Amino acid sequence: MNWPRKDLLDIAALSAEEIEIILDTAVSMKEVLTRPVKKLPTLRGKAVAMLFYETSTRTRSSFETAAKILGADTSSLAVAQSSVSKGESLLDTAKTLAAMNIDLLVVRHAASGAPQFLAERLPLGVINAGDGQHAHPTQALLDVYSMREKWGGVTGRKIVIVGDVLHSRVARSNALCLTKLGAEVVLVGPPTLLPPEMDYLGVRLSYDFDRELAGADGVMALRLQLERQQSGLFPSLREYNRLYGLTRERMARAGKECLVLHPGPMNRGVEIMSDVADSPQSVIETQVTNGVAVRMALIYLLLSGGAVDAVA
Amino acid sequence: MLWLKNARVVDPAQGISGIRDVFVRDGRILMIGRSIPTDRLTDGGEPETLDCAGKYLFPGLVDAHVHLREPGQEYKEDIASGSRAAVRGGVTSLICMANTSPVIDSQALVAFVARQGRRAGLAHVYPAAAVTKGMAGEELTEMAELKASGAIAFSDDGRGVQNGEIMRLALEYAKLTGCPVVSHCEDAALAGKGVMRRGRASAALGLAGMPGAAESAMAARDVLLAGETGGKLHLAHVSTRGTLAALRAGKAAGWDVTAEVNPHHLILTDEDVPLTNSAFKVNPPLPSAEDRDALLLALADGTIDMLASDHAPHAWEEKARPFAEAPFGMTALETALPAIWTYLVQPGKLSVERLVDAFARRPAERFALEAGTLRPGMPADMVLFDPEYQEIVTASDMASKSVNTPFLGRTLRGYPVKTWVGGHLVFERPAAV
Ligand SMILES: [Zn+2]
Repeated sequence: MNWPRKDLLDIAALSAEEIEIILDTAVSMKEVLTRPVKKLPTLRGKAVAMLFYETSTRTRSSFETAAKILGADTSSLAVAQSSVSKGESLLDTAKTLAAMNIDLLVVRHAASGAPQFLAERLPLGVINAGDGQHAHPTQALLDVYSMREKWGGVTGRKIVIVGDVLHSRVARSNALCLTKLGAEVVLVGPPTLLPPEMDYLGVRLSYDFDRELAGADGVMALRLQLERQQSGLFPSLREYNRLYGLTRERMARAGKECLVLHPGPMNRGVEIMSDVADSPQSVIETQVTNGVAVRMALIYLLLSGGAVDAVA
Repeated sequence: MLWLKNARVVDPAQGISGIRDVFVRDGRILMIGRSIPTDRLTDGGEPETLDCAGKYLFPGLVDAHVHLREPGQEYKEDIASGSRAAVRGGVTSLICMANTSPVIDSQALVAFVARQGRRAGLAHVYPAAAVTKGMAGEELTEMAELKASGAIAFSDDGRGVQNGEIMRLALEYAKLTGCPVVSHCEDAALAGKGVMRRGRASAALGLAGMPGAAESAMAARDVLLAGETGGKLHLAHVSTRGTLAALRAGKAAGWDVTAEVNPHHLILTDEDVPLTNSAFKVNPPLPSAEDRDALLLALADGTIDMLASDHAPHAWEEKARPFAEAPFGMTALETALPAIWTYLVQPGKLSVERLVDAFARRPAERFALEAGTLRPGMPADMVLFDPEYQEIVTASDMASKSVNTPFLGRTLRGYPVKTWVGGHLVFERPAAV
């Protein structure tokens, strides 16, 4: 198969066929993860660099693990907050990166569009590992992978995404990815965190979590940034949990088959209760493993163009 | 002496729209007519003649809203470069805003800006002075003295006056000057960290949106204050239907309220904003399509009195940042008229008469400037406009020091080809001659 794209910036740019190619590739990658020796020579000599302006140990190590298993060299560019406060602009960073011997750059940034900004200015490939409130395509792909693994496919399935939808790149990318593959998505949250303009996604919006849980095949709780309370976006954690928390009683409405997902890290006792997070319905731990497989698939496709056989 | 022949003269102040000859002497309009008998013109010398067939002659445009960045930010623009940009765009009189560094809030600074304008010797540069000292929104400036030094309006443009009582006092106190208070309507709390208009487009780009009410709530407040005080209020860069409702109510009540609209708010919408092109980042932000359509109707029916560019230059490296981190503002002096012609006049959305009325006559009247018409006796500030001339908007052609325009790379049709100020030719488009 052929993979002509240089970058992965946003699910919106992908066709359903392209998403399927990534997910199918991830299936073989996951098989590698079960082998005793988890190391492939596929991308030997390639350099993958991490550029994380927001700290996220989980996502960064997932990408690093994925790249290493494929035989690529990884490095972390120490940008963090120090160079930002020194006033080094993203443009300066792009110039520096262009002069380094990097094949693929993994970027996380608090500003929406920062990965695309770099991709437009660099000859190397860029993967968006989360930008502002805009997109988190690898998270969406691994979530959909996890659902597909359980169900065989997501077409016709109903997935409820609940929480701070307004500020969530995970919700945006998941809604786009799932609807492209023929699933039904319902976004749920309080009106302050689920404004009407979110209907741009072409999915249903609802304030009533309990009603939407009925008939749901999967439910994804979004991480609640606790600071939002100070901005007045919700009155208290107590009321939030009462209306939108994923509790055992509530899960009973959806039935035993309903999958529970969370992009992590969880605020246990706020958007999700521990007994739900750790229940047999939860695929939250599997999501972590699947994250590595999906990221392997992406790194492989972007760096090899799909030309060489990945899994020998 | 200058004799312009066969021009399509549009001068709403005199009710003229048709082929005329215009005769200029001693820097002023001497005569305007269908054909001028030569024996009445010559005072001995031979007049310079120019055949203007196929071209329009407008009164020089009067731009009520310009940022020239001097003093303090001359790397973005200075009064000389901004004046060159102005006449290149057909603007012969402009009001420059006070949000420089330092803020124009003292007599010496007002006089400095006016003097720099005269030294540049191109467009007439009229300073607006701040409403409050340092634009801190707390204490009024010495408006009477600032007027004596040459201020012709008062504005904290760049930010809204958050304290309603200060705005009320400003509208009262400015009566001493007869000058309008120009309000940049923006409620800081409602605007929050917003970088574009709140709506589906901001949601899709994941960019923080500011609700329309951030503008219209303050516009409504200021219109009510103008009503209660009897003060003279001008609303800068209106961009929402909510603001239009307040404006209509104020006008219907007979209050002394006027408003301007910027070309970009009539042409572009939030749907046009690309995630990584901050040339589209402007304050107030690009409107929804519904707001844009309402603005155009309001301009055509006179609810909105005038056009103004809100020319807001920024250095390239300041704009070459992720959208949320780049400063607000677009350059516009050199593209305003061609963009309006291309996107509004040519498609028949705006008449050429209303264009000239809104971009020359009305701002001159509102701010009491000797400009905006070709009436005999007026200074010969004129624009010769070629409706067929096309050009791609190109960074290297700009007279402005900055090129942060969303029209970069687009072909616009209809450009000024000659501009005169006080009868002197101050700009000639090289390729068009
Ligand atoms: Zn303003």
